[in-house]
Amino acid sequence: MNKKTYKIKESLSNALELPKDIVLDVAKVTLTGSNTVTVENHKGILEYNEDQIRINTSSGILTISGSRLNIKSILQEEITISGEINGISY
Amino acid sequence: MIIIRLWNFLRGYAIIVVEGLKIERFINMAISNGIYIWDIKKLSYTSISAKIGLENFSRMREIVKRTDSSIEIREKRGLPFLLKNLKRHKIFTASVLMLVIGIYIMCSYIWMIEVTGTKAVEPKVIMEIINQEGLKEGIRKAKIDKHAIENKILIKLPQLSWVGIQVRGTKATVEVVEKRQEPEMISKTDACDIIAAKSGIVHKILVLNGDGAVKDGATVKKGQVLVTGTIVRENTETRYVHSLAQVTARTWYEDAEEMDLQQIEFKDTGRKTTHYMLKILDKELGFKKVAPYSEYNEVREEKNIISFGDYIFPVKLISTRYNELVKVPKTLTADQAKKRCEERLNERLKLQLSENAVVLDKKIDYYVEKKSVKAKISVEILEEIGVKQRIQANN
Repeated sequence: MNKKTYKIKESLSNALELPKDIVLDVAKVTLTGSNTVTVENHKGILEYNEDQIRINTSSGILTISGSRLNIKSILQEEITISGEINGISY
Repeated sequence: MIIIRLWNFLRGYAIIVVEGLKIERFINMAISNGIYIWDIKKLSYTSISAKIGLENFSRMREIVKRTDSSIEIREKRGLPFLLKNLKRHKIFTASVLMLVIGIYIMCSYIWMIEVTGTKAVEPKVIMEIINQEGLKEGIRKAKIDKHAIENKILIKLPQLSWVGIQVRGTKATVEVVEKRQEPEMISKTDACDIIAAKSGIVHKILVLNGDGAVKDGATVKKGQVLVTGTIVRENTETRYVHSLAQVTARTWYEDAEEMDLQQIEFKDTGRKTTHYMLKILDKELGFKKVAPYSEYNEVREEKNIISFGDYIFPVKLISTRYNELVKVPKTLTADQAKKRCEERLNERLKLQLSENAVVLDKKIDYYVEKKSVKAKISVEILEEIGVKQRIQANN
């Protein structure tokens, strides 16, 4: 996606109040409590360790840190991670 | 999530251990090939364990090759493997199946019948009727025609006003409602006499309707007409009226009681033995034992040992407890015997007295003899003795 089309899509989604994760194909991160985090629209796992998981997304590399991290389930468009989550950062 | 787990269980899955340096690449390739893996755990720096559906396992081999990793099945789980196991243990499977089928079949029979709501009618009588009509212990539930049996009971026992049969689990409950016995009422338009219910001396007679046949102070016998409803006057036709009157009379009540001075009392020694027996349907299993004591009282208890709520099965544990008793001879003093006599006499007197009776005089005479004490009570009572009786008129 080049910058121009991205800009157009962003303004379009702003104007029509469409969910950005669908229109722009960006990742949607949902944190439930401090034990479960779900990442939608991911682009694959880059690194998996018990204390850190790095996930590729369209807007950069998402790093989830914590301890005893497990991948509860993994699908083409969604990853569910459980464990004690300390931080989520790009 | 539980639905997905159940689905996985039904389809069967394997717990695998993947070892290699490019674990992340392995996961990514699996998902891009549409292989669903879940519960991924890091075991060590180079290995993970994960769960994978059975049908995807063969497709995994190629990915393993391309990522230079090794794969190993730790455990197979799920229904397909369970069934495979069961096939191997045929006898066990068969016996479990038999048990389940057996319990299911047992549940479709009646194993216990209970009669509730009876007062004057003996539950035994009702039991006999329903047994005749086919509701017995050990009958299939489907065979019972509840309405037909209810109707049959009502026809055979006219003193019942309602019968309901309820089948719950393996228990049938027969609930009955008895008709209330009402005294024969004589309506105000029917002619009647008033007669004496007891013999005595009339204390006061107050005639409201009808002709008085006796006067105050008259001695009357039981059944004698006190007030007649047949009015005979000269020059007019004989009329029949509904008599109304209050008749109070002095009546006498007598009773006697004898009490031996030598009394034998049974005392509990505290020693007891209990025998157990198993009862299946009507058959008692176990040895019939004789009571171990010469003097005892017996307490028998039956308990259903297999029951799940309303599902009761015909296996009963019968426990028979024998409490040893010992004879204790006791000699009463004359006073003690008198007291006991008096208590008994008073108790019986209470049962005899009607509601509005007044005890005018009470006298107890004692006759002390060698071996016993005799007591005689005589009571003078003031009570109402008038009872209505329909005139069998031929008009």
